[in-house]
Amino acid sequence: MESLNRKDLYKQEPPPFGKALLKHYALDPEYLNLNNGSYGTTPRPVLEAANELTLLVESNPDRFNRLLYQPMLIDVRTKVATLIGAKADEVVLVANASMGVNTILRNFDWEAGDVIFAFTTTYGSVSRTVQNLSDCSPFPSVCEIPLNFPMTHAEVLESFKEHLKLHPAGANKKRVAVIDSIVSNPGVLLPWQEMVKICREENVWSLVDAAHSIGQEVDLNMEESKPDFFVSNCHKWLSSKRACALLYVPERNQHIIKTSLPTSHTYIRPADRVKPNFVEQFEWNGTIDFTPYLTVADAIEFRQWLGGEHKINAYCHDLALKGGRRLAEVLGTRVIDPDGDLTVNMVNVELPIPGSIKWTAAIDASMKQKMLVERKAYSAHFYHNGAWWTRCSAQVWNNVEDFENIGIKWREVCAEIVMELKE
Amino acid sequence: MNRKDLYKQEPPPFGKALLKHYALDPEYINLNNGSYGATPRPVLEAAQELTLLIESNPDSFNRLLYKPKLIDVRTKLATLIGAKPDEVVLVANASMGVNTILRNFDWEAEDVIFVFSTTYINVSGTVQSISDCPPFPSICEVPLNFPMTHSDIIESFKDHLKANPASPNKKRVAVIDSIGSNPGVLLPWREMVQICREEKVWSVVDAAHSIGQEVDLNMGEAKPDFFVSNCHKWLSSKRACALLYVPERNQHIIKTALPTSDTYIRPKDRLKPNFVQQFESNGTIDLAPYLTVADALEFRNWLGGEHKINTYCHDLAIKGGRRLAEVLGTRVLDPDGDLTVNMVNVELPIPGSIKWSADIDATMMQKMLIERKAYSAHFNHNGAWWTRCSAQVWNSVEDFENIGKIWREVCADIVKELKE
Repeated sequence: MESLNRKDLYKQEPPPFGKALLKHYALDPEYLNLNNGSYGTTPRPVLEAANELTLLVESNPDRFNRLLYQPMLIDVRTKVATLIGAKADEVVLVANASMGVNTILRNFDWEAGDVIFAFTTTYGSVSRTVQNLSDCSPFPSVCEIPLNFPMTHAEVLESFKEHLKLHPAGANKKRVAVIDSIVSNPGVLLPWQEMVKICREENVWSLVDAAHSIGQEVDLNMEESKPDFFVSNCHKWLSSKRACALLYVPERNQHIIKTSLPTSHTYIRPADRVKPNFVEQFEWNGTIDFTPYLTVADAIEFRQWLGGEHKINAYCHDLALKGGRRLAEVLGTRVIDPDGDLTVNMVNVELPIPGSIKWTAAIDASMKQKMLVERKAYSAHFYHNGAWWTRCSAQVWNNVEDFENIGIKWREVCAEIVMELKE
Repeated sequence: MNRKDLYKQEPPPFGKALLKHYALDPEYINLNNGSYGATPRPVLEAAQELTLLIESNPDSFNRLLYKPKLIDVRTKLATLIGAKPDEVVLVANASMGVNTILRNFDWEAEDVIFVFSTTYINVSGTVQSISDCPPFPSICEVPLNFPMTHSDIIESFKDHLKANPASPNKKRVAVIDSIGSNPGVLLPWREMVQICREEKVWSVVDAAHSIGQEVDLNMGEAKPDFFVSNCHKWLSSKRACALLYVPERNQHIIKTALPTSDTYIRPKDRLKPNFVQQFESNGTIDLAPYLTVADALEFRNWLGGEHKINTYCHDLAIKGGRRLAEVLGTRVLDPDGDLTVNMVNVELPIPGSIKWSADIDATMMQKMLIERKAYSAHFNHNGAWWTRCSAQVWNSVEDFENIGKIWREVCADIVKELKE
């Protein structure tokens, strides 16, 4: 198929959602991809834009890095801010969500007696970040709140409130809660807006790790939700090139972020600091490839062509629900969230492996080998709350058939694994 | 032509003939490789292939294929710098590498961090930000004003170490450039590292400019405590990637990567450092810049290898610098060449009484980069204006002559405009 440049492509009607869209991604058409949630997927027009930008940069790196890039960066920051209901000067770009979370957490002036709230479902690198902070002088405490799905939003809120009660703030000490908007394993929506509100009422700093949110949760509105900090990956669900995350810090909190990571030459010492220079500090943090940041604009353009955020996500959400049910039928198991209250575009279905078989690195590797390498299919797998699960991401190129087909494969693979373990 | 076929041919000679193997605008006189590097077309080609491989199956690549490739690159880089592979990891850029090291120290009040007035601005900002946070370690800034000799520098360094002895049980950490940015000069970093060892000072070598420019690097001999170098500056790799070298004896200092990895181990569970493992996956990134370092090395081997490349570039820096000083009617910062590797600093014909301002800075970039499509880095140092020219494989003495005429014009314009 001859490839059109995107200018001409966007003059055409977009194909319908489903298989017909696959050709606009650079995915191997034989790869049954139900795992957009891990690394995202870059549409061909965005790759094309990135290539053009690369050649522009390479033609004169000085002109680009010293003069041309800044207006382009401002444009992207403004578009992203609009998408999340924030002011442009409250949004900067960082390498990825892990970097964004580290930037926030490492800027707090921690004290003995401070408490950091995390959850058992907090993303691996984020919970380790919290642990590391707790392991360094002056050793703030960590309270880890267990979340075991299936559970309802009401139960999550109840547990959160209880743990906040159990760990009141020491005199003049602070409490910081790291709250996933959408968890990774399992891929479930948390009642993060309500949790942010509870934080506000309880004088707890709310850091929302919203890695999965932008491009999946529609109608994000920072003005309404008012989190203290919010980080989201643009390359996961917003179709941008790997990797780029937005870091949202409302004006009222910018004084907390004293330095970017790595520190910029625009860092201002306290004695000289009149007011925070938040945006400026994130404009130049050492040489990077700017194309992932700057082609976020092209990603948004692609998504507009497809019909825009609501249209895309209505399709993906419906498919997640339908596909999840179908997959559970094929596997003879269950959906973690049968009512769908915790399902956005990712759905979690139990795998037919006895819960008595615990997670091991060997089983983990075996699953990847059997699915990814031998069967060219994948949806994320994980062990949670005594059971094995797969998390399927419903994306614009997927359809229900994909869920059926992957169900057949998972059934096979799980049977093999159980059998191999018996031997 | 794809690179497989290209490498079967003899490479063109150094100079203009090589320009076509870069994606530079042929009309742009680029004497500023030192700031951002320049990616050879074969490396861009390799990066594009890798991108398509990753995109065809991001899970397969990130979960299964990438680790062996990463190990291969780390091993090749380690060989290039005379280190063990498990002492070398990759990070986003030199600023990130330096932040990773400095932010891992358990700072205490009365610790002293030594920097220099020529320390790279992001790095001095980093040190300031650390000093501004509890428990507020001190900073000692050693002034370096060029022209000065290597012995002058060593003398000054020793004096400042003496003037700021370690308090009981407190540490001293020195951030030492191997090659400074402004001016672009080689420091006697190996001797300074040796002095650090004698004085029980931690040596953090910010060698952003070293790999691909300084030949025969040997960590086993030089023994810095930490060493960071950008692969995209002089090693021809895609923007951006830096190596972070931490010898086994110091890996316990680096308790966490930045950002922290899910392989971080808590002190009570920590049997020994898991340095390499902690830098294998630090959030999703574009893996092409790291992994095509191998392709950059292949390109440089095709050109003749590190010694051949750097002999040409070094000679050109010396010759070109002299020629440029003639055209400008000024002087080379380092007339004996002891501080010159592949970058040379020549005074610009602007009176030293004219101080740096953001306006002049912007005007210079406008007049050079936009209006005349030519650039070599400009800066104000020690009461004079300078330009730093990077001698790269596509450059020739003619480039220095041509940029000299252009700078002469631009400087005259600026002086005139200021008078008005």
